[in-house]
Amino acid sequence: MATVLKRNQWQIWKDVIFALMVREVRTGFNDKLGLSWAILHPIAFIFILSFIRGRLDGGETHSIPTFVFMAYGLLLIQLFLTVFDSASKAVKKAKPLYAFRQVQPISPVIASSLFEILVKVMVFIGISVIMYLMQMEIRVDDFLALILNVCALALFSVFFGLMFGVLSLFVPELSKMQNLLTRPLFFISGVFFSMRDVPPEYWYLLDWNPILHAIELSRYSAYTSYGNTAVSTNYLLLVTLGVVFLAMLIYRSLWKSAVSR
Amino acid sequence: MIQIRNVDKYYNSHIGRQYVFQDLNFDIPIGSNIALLGKNGAGKSTLFRMLAKSEYPNAGQIITDQKISWPVALASGIHPAMTGRENTRFIGKVNGVEDLDDYENKVKRFSELDKKFDLPVATYSSGMRPRLAFACSVAIDFDVYLIDEVTSVGDASFKRKARKALFRKSQTSSVIMVSHQMSELQLFCDSAILLDAGKLVFYSDLDEAIERYDEL
Repeated sequence: MATVLKRNQWQIWKDVIFALMVREVRTGFNDKLGLSWAILHPIAFIFILSFIRGRLDGGETHSIPTFVFMAYGLLLIQLFLTVFDSASKAVKKAKPLYAFRQVQPISPVIASSLFEILVKVMVFIGISVIMYLMQMEIRVDDFLALILNVCALALFSVFFGLMFGVLSLFVPELSKMQNLLTRPLFFISGVFFSMRDVPPEYWYLLDWNPILHAIELSRYSAYTSYGNTAVSTNYLLLVTLGVVFLAMLIYRSLWKSAVSR
Repeated sequence: MIQIRNVDKYYNSHIGRQYVFQDLNFDIPIGSNIALLGKNGAGKSTLFRMLAKSEYPNAGQIITDQKISWPVALASGIHPAMTGRENTRFIGKVNGVEDLDDYENKVKRFSELDKKFDLPVATYSSGMRPRLAFACSVAIDFDVYLIDEVTSVGDASFKRKARKALFRKSQTSSVIMVSHQMSELQLFCDSAILLDAGKLVFYSDLDEAIERYDEL
């Protein structure tokens, strides 16, 4: 009979998350298009919208090509929306799997968010390839800053999703509100506008939103000339840290009763 | 030995907390095969799931150094869109099986699914799913197997096979079993725990326990 390895906590986590990711890929895409659709769909969406928008004006927005301006906005807001959505739903979706004591609610959350993040990385690469083929200028002035901003946003999305997912097991109304809460973010996160277009006296209406900071900062790290009006890396990192802390606090105190629900 | 220490378990409802166990202290001896007896709603499944750590008590602890299986019920943790093989690999990986290919073969052989093993579980008949679930658990070496009614499904030949396998297991490791069929329990178990009104009583003789259970 099959013997079981003695594993430490890390190895168990690694195995479980790996198994869950395979399961995610395997069950999420059952038609002929399969996994490729997960990547092609956002590429097409982002590309078409950015391209049309780029054609509508002179082709430049505050010194960066409008295509690039739009592509960053759309890619990052989608990163947030999809990661948040899948992370928050993973808690409930994996419920039958909690029969295995090795599977704790955070593992499906990490597995499905990691998958979504990987998809977005592929989308980023895909769009860069299309830009290269169309002989558009590909420029990232400060690559490290770009990575930092994107990672912070990804982390923020995962843990915000985790918090939301765990809490909505106790307050089911939350998951009904989810769409209502996230949909407006598409319009107020600076996807379609720059903070430079907003008069300073109205910044307070928008600048609480860490997604806006991530998007504007990413544009800034790609083209330094774009500027970082009204946004700051420190704010983004602090909010991320706060959300990670809060989410872990809630998770740690509630996961055992969440499993029993 | 599985030690249950000061365990509280309740479920919240709109009419207040529904206690299943309150300040429960009990030692479950390992080494014999134990039947869990109790009326509907006495907390058999809850206790079962807590032993497997599929669920946690609201207070207190359950302490053991034994390798305990997951509660093997009709189709626990099996995804209908994945094939039998993929489900097997998933379960093997989660449980930390050393040699997954070997495990896969064992499950395939035992479950007698043949070609169906590579088809999605959704296409299986209702008798085949528990066969897969049962095969997945019995192919792993545990110290304690938690078996919930699974041996009573499937056709006659599989039932025989499952019973034989479980019987062999029960010689070397322990089986804790829930079933409403007394004949089933008498086949595997030699002792019993009777659950009544949130209290546990251990009987080293199964027949005595069944008598008590009938009186309830």
